[in-house]
Amino acid sequence: MSIPALKVTNLSVWFEKDSERLKVVDQISFSIEAGDATGLVGESGCGKTMTAMAILGLLSKPGIKVCSDGIEVNGRNISTLTTAGRRSVLGRDIAMIFQQPATALDPVFTIGQQIGAVYRRHGGGDKQQTRKSMLEALESVGFRDARDIAASYPHELSGGMRQLTMIAMATVCKPAVIIADEPTTALDNSTRALILERLKHLQKLHRTAILFISHDLAVVRHICRDVLVMYCGRLIESTDCQNLFSHARHPYSAGLLSCIPQISGERPPAIKSIPGQLPPLTDLPVGCHFAPRCNRVEAQCRTSVPALDYENGRGAACFRPL
Amino acid sequence: MNTPTPAKPRTLLEIRDFSLSFRQSTQLAVDHVSLKMAAGRTLGLVGASGAGKSSIARAILRLVKPDAGEILFRGEDIYRMSAPDLKATRQRIQMVFQDPSVSLSPRRTVEQTLLEPLQHFAIGDTDEQQGRIREILRTVGLDDSTLHRYPNQFSSGQQQRIAIARALVTEPDLLIADEAVASLDVSIQAQILQLIQTLQTDFGISILFISHDLAVIRQIADDVAVMYQGQLLEQSTADKFFSEPAHPYSKTLLSFAKGNTPGRWSGDKWHLLRGQKSLGKRAKCVYAGFCGDKLDVCEEREPALHDIQFKNQHAAAPHCVKCHLYDGVKNDDH
Repeated sequence: MSIPALKVTNLSVWFEKDSERLKVVDQISFSIEAGDATGLVGESGCGKTMTAMAILGLLSKPGIKVCSDGIEVNGRNISTLTTAGRRSVLGRDIAMIFQQPATALDPVFTIGQQIGAVYRRHGGGDKQQTRKSMLEALESVGFRDARDIAASYPHELSGGMRQLTMIAMATVCKPAVIIADEPTTALDNSTRALILERLKHLQKLHRTAILFISHDLAVVRHICRDVLVMYCGRLIESTDCQNLFSHARHPYSAGLLSCIPQISGERPPAIKSIPGQLPPLTDLPVGCHFAPRCNRVEAQCRTSVPALDYENGRGAACFRPL
Repeated sequence: MNTPTPAKPRTLLEIRDFSLSFRQSTQLAVDHVSLKMAAGRTLGLVGASGAGKSSIARAILRLVKPDAGEILFRGEDIYRMSAPDLKATRQRIQMVFQDPSVSLSPRRTVEQTLLEPLQHFAIGDTDEQQGRIREILRTVGLDDSTLHRYPNQFSSGQQQRIAIARALVTEPDLLIADEAVASLDVSIQAQILQLIQTLQTDFGISILFISHDLAVIRQIADDVAVMYQGQLLEQSTADKFFSEPAHPYSKTLLSFAKGNTPGRWSGDKWHLLRGQKSLGKRAKCVYAGFCGDKLDVCEEREPALHDIQFKNQHAAAPHCVKCHLYDGVKNDDH
């Protein structure tokens, strides 16, 4: 088997507050092959973004502790890099697309300057070469008037166009891995469809591996082959998209699916929701974290933690899977 | 007034030929919009960002000054009301905003937030007010222990529940929900949609539900109105809209929402990103530049808003479409 583009082994993140330890990411392992897209889904506060930041090594702050048995990009471990070493990797081998392009882009530089800066940082050659690559990146996300866009400031573009320039910036060095953190959440339906289509196109073109973080299962279904479901910092289901939608095994995954409103000619029945809410990090239940909200709970769930067991490549961390 | 025929329900709100522009712009943000809302029903207002949805919401609350037209609430123009009448009307129209972490005051406890509308409109004495806010909290699924806490101590779903409680505490007839579930997770969104649906059944209020998410609209709305670049292009019942949308733009919207993304990147989709800026000359159909079914007349004249309601149909809402394709279609033809 080939070396996966991204391989994460036993990644944990916790906050240290007073003498308390709050685990926000709990022993997560997964891998993505080149040219594949994997979705990471779950409710707000379940640790999706923390996972992304930990992979990129952006969590070296006091009070936060990251621990893993390896984060490999094309076989190279990036979790042990120094700050300088990491700088040469971010943007070139692994890049991120943020949720809010309005805040991720610098308002005082033009789009062209910002994309060019990423390219130059990684030894991209002279001014002309930089400009050429920058314009190519803008054209590759679909802009016909790349020169005009390059000369614009972020505030002159609409939300959807800004997100496209973020994608151009992430792909200008053709990285092996892109982490997209809720890239379409702030956009309306039609714009979202276009952004997803572009992202898919670039992924095919450069054989990029994408970790696509979203709380929207409908979007994940559209773009990803595999999907990981997270709840309270743990991976609770790992399967391919088709399977998740046709036969979710973890009760939480099934609950999430039933929350998605559907469009149909007939008036849909009243929407279902998962009872209760996410437990606070300071007060996580012993055993399976989902047990208090689960309708299939039994005694064992409240005492011991179910492991993510794989069966035909499909894993569910549940004692009584559906 | 009651007639034995299944007549249309009472009209609660009527917007007549309403226009609105912003200071720097010559472009109308709301362009001669006419719209009717029946009492006790939910109208879903859809359209891309910048279509003028929120401007309509703000206009109904008289937060903006119109260029032309009128907005009738129970037959009275809210822009011609005296100050006391306006105050009384605002008690009957309440709003829930998109982001509860911004719309709730961070320096007020839940109790202060909920009491303020009651004090402002002088509803009940102190005991009555206290009883009322406790009752409304239970209605939205929170308990009394939340009263002395601040918004930042709640999750986004709970914050939106508080915002809804604040809106409902004056017992309004019309609730305007402007993207009220757009910033929430699917699971929380489902809970809030459930709550809004229950509240409507229990209280019989009318809801103007603004959203760009057609799946959410399908879930909650009885009627649908579609806006594009400030104009109302179609209004019909939700069942009709989702099975047979009439306007070409409605069809495009619906196909996008169902996930039928374009197979390849084509230039004619750019307008969806650009919003207002790409607009050319006026005095023609706003959608003409991008319409797949364009006729010659679309470039020449602005279409009228045709009523294509079937005569024998007992639907509560009108079915109107602003498109030249329906020029020949008259009410009597059916």
